[in-house]
Amino acid sequence: MTRTLDIARDLLREARSRRWVLVLFSAETLLLLAATFGLQLDVVDGALAATRLFGGTMGRTIQAADVALRPLFEFVAYAVFYAGTALGVLACADFAPALLAPGRIEHLLSLPVRRAELVLGTFLGVLALVLGGALYGGLGLTLIVWAKTGVFGWAPVLAALLSAAAFASIYAAMMAAATAVRSAALSAAVGALVFVAGIVAGFRRSLAPMFSPGPSRAVFLGLTAPLPRLSELARVAGRAAGGVPPDAVQLAIQLGGAALFTAAALMVAVALLERRDF
Amino acid sequence: MRRWHGWLIAAILLGAAALLLSLGDGEPARTTRPEVDFPVWMREPERQRAAQRATLVLPAPPPPAGVPADATPAEPPPRRDPFLVALPVEPDAPLIVMEANALRHSRLGERFVACMQQRDPDLFARLERETGIDPLKDVDRVGMAGEAVVLSGFFDRARWDSILEREPHFDAYGTSGRIYRGTNQRFIGTWGDHIIVVASDAAPIQRAIDQLEGRAPVPETGIPEDMAYGELYGVVPGAAAGKLLGADSRGISDRLAALADRIELHVDAMQDVAAVVRVQGPDQAGLDDLARTMGAALAVARVEAEATGDRATADLLEFATVDPGGQGLSLKVAVPAARLEALLGDCERRRPARPP
Repeated sequence: MTRTLDIARDLLREARSRRWVLVLFSAETLLLLAATFGLQLDVVDGALAATRLFGGTMGRTIQAADVALRPLFEFVAYAVFYAGTALGVLACADFAPALLAPGRIEHLLSLPVRRAELVLGTFLGVLALVLGGALYGGLGLTLIVWAKTGVFGWAPVLAALLSAAAFASIYAAMMAAATAVRSAALSAAVGALVFVAGIVAGFRRSLAPMFSPGPSRAVFLGLTAPLPRLSELARVAGRAAGGVPPDAVQLAIQLGGAALFTAAALMVAVALLERRDF
Repeated sequence: MRRWHGWLIAAILLGAAALLLSLGDGEPARTTRPEVDFPVWMREPERQRAAQRATLVLPAPPPPAGVPADATPAEPPPRRDPFLVALPVEPDAPLIVMEANALRHSRLGERFVACMQQRDPDLFARLERETGIDPLKDVDRVGMAGEAVVLSGFFDRARWDSILEREPHFDAYGTSGRIYRGTNQRFIGTWGDHIIVVASDAAPIQRAIDQLEGRAPVPETGIPEDMAYGELYGVVPGAAAGKLLGADSRGISDRLAALADRIELHVDAMQDVAAVVRVQGPDQAGLDDLARTMGAALAVARVEAEATGDRATADLLEFATVDPGGQGLSLKVAVPAARLEALLGDCERRRPARPP
């Protein structure tokens, strides 16, 4: 386990020097600064009396601040979930192919590290990076709103955690693709494919009637069955931000399914790496 | 690990993921926060309802001074809703109208009637036998104007001897009016078979009939047809609102009485109960300030209700908003039907034990 964590730490060190990652963190910081200085929330005795963004009035309806801020938290939850996942795919597509680059992989394999530990360490390092970014944005905005209104909403944090869970399943598939063919472009394409397919899978029951009964519908249902329901996880995050407590059983099913898919994809990555000669 | 073991484990895990996630696909009921539709304007069914009710042709008002009486009138006056015309408006008294028949057929109304029948299965049948009026079918609207109560509906089978508790005797008034004197200084006026006015004095009844027959002007402070939407609507003068609300620690009712000329109320109750209260007055700055005070008071009350476990109040205040601006302020409050039904409980099943 220590060796796995060492690899993860090594990857995080490498991430600090990557321009892509630095640009994304800088953009996130700029957005947080814009929210800090541009968003004015006029709260009187727990009621939000006025909202102004860069001086322009956004609304004058007076409402309990926590209720009034639900749409904001809901927007942030969806943004953190979908944008965090999409940016994660873009920013991290190159990590696994870089790991397998000629010279580096031979060096790593010469160390007392098993191939499975190499896969798992890289996976955990990338996951930590994406979770950190999502939490930075989500928790950052939560703290800004808390400082301005006194209302603390856990929803962006929950969205960040769910986003990391969703990204884990996507990145596991990306790693499997990268171990099959060492290409950042292919890795990103597989990530995008699983991302979109995961969103579609969340609506598979309502989309299935669009296929004529028979083989085409069965193929659609069969292909989408093991995919993590990313849109459902996003809905959980959004509803939690809207003040609706998550359905614990449904959440457990979705997270459990995503975890099983992640494990399966990682297992494929390990199996592919085991087959390769370096 | 043999090479094929990894693929086998991956396949098993993928199958398990498919199986587990398929369980979640069949999840039918997902918790969602109810959306409430507030009665902020007249909707198409209400517009049609108002058009159907506009059956009364009032005589054209006299021409302005200087215009010959036989000059061609520009247009005939629009038909009016006789019930709204009949309301004997008092200057400083609230004027509230309930759409009794609509409320009876609302989601909550059905439950309420079922609960009443469970307590006394013969209640409504007995009332019909005694008065000739089926309260569940014959009463369409109930209006309260000061101390007078106006009912519209179908009263041709009314048993006046039973209602008045004495030999029915009436004085004819106007073309279609009758005024009965009941026991306990109660007067009941009828206009045709569709309007009843109950008051402690004959004057409001006479005024109602005069308004219906064009001998008295319809007060402008009443309820115009385009304001008759929702299942409960009305106007409350500012001073009356102050008295209705009573004193409060923030002085909201006093400030409301001082600032409001007219308070308009609309409540939807067919599914959820959603109310819109519009306060109008000349001092917009004062009303803006009052809106902020009310918003803060509602937010504090909601927090207190949640802290003390008062779920009904917390639910009511969850949807509460105060909207300043325009010409006055607008307050919205709502309770989702599901919450109200939960409060009613299963009263239909709680049948009291019948006496042996």
